[in-house]
Amino acid sequence: MSKNILITRPEHDPTTLYLSTWNGKNLSQLQEYGLTIFDLHREKANRKEVESRLKKSPCRFVFLNGHGDYDKVTGHNNEVLIQAGDNEDILHAKIVYAISCRSAAKLGPQSIQAGAESYIGYAEDFIFVYEPYQLSRSTQDETAKLFLEHSTLFVNALAKGNTVGESFLRAKNNLKENFVRLLAEPNRSDSQILRFLWWDHKHFVSHGNGEAKL
Amino acid sequence: MNSELSEEIKELVLLRLETMPSDRKISIGSYGEFTKEELIERVKKGDEVGKKLIAIEMEFLQAMKEGVLV
Repeated sequence: MSKNILITRPEHDPTTLYLSTWNGKNLSQLQEYGLTIFDLHREKANRKEVESRLKKSPCRFVFLNGHGDYDKVTGHNNEVLIQAGDNEDILHAKIVYAISCRSAAKLGPQSIQAGAESYIGYAEDFIFVYEPYQLSRSTQDETAKLFLEHSTLFVNALAKGNTVGESFLRAKNNLKENFVRLLAEPNRSDSQILRFLWWDHKHFVSHGNGEAKL
Repeated sequence: MNSELSEEIKELVLLRLETMPSDRKISIGSYGEFTKEELIERVKKGDEVGKKLIAIEMEFLQAMKEGVLV
């Protein structure tokens, strides 16, 4: 299978804007690793485009940014893209990373049953703290970075030829390192965010084949 | 969880939120984005978002007690 990546980047509220810009800024880097990227940005992050693209150009890696729930991941304006019991079979033989709430609890395991090779995501709500005055330059937001840089690390590690398991561990360690760094600064005014970093670390999970590679 | 403990945790969550800088927002997935003042209201009301914050605090405290944080 070709080293194509399908990425969905809805952008209709502050949460999806942050996910889209943080994970969009890395696309040129991925191209340098020799990957072909199908970027479904804003309105293009809809179910029809996702299904059509996966049928036309077999993608080894599907990277979903957006909202979600235990049984689904959504796209622009919260349109359901993939739903357990409906169309998870389109993820057959793919490595899937969903940075969205909860989908790794049910959609993840069901996707593996339906033939997906690996599914990485969050089994509970993905929470992050940000600086709202940075909305127009969200990638410079140092608070959000604590929560979002692990995602870039995961994707880059995978793109560089590491296994899913190695890449996942690298990303999980990044969340942990950020947590430990904050823990060592007890006088920080934003130490409240510790529990949210810990929460994301705890619920960041990987299903399926940890030896899979792009 | 008994109601006395539940109230204590709620108070703790409120105290923690009070110390949060006002220039931050928290994205809680599909629930949306909240200022600290909005979160304090949610915890006081005891709605889904408030209950979620209390659940996070409970699990965090439990993990600290068990020494599994780091």
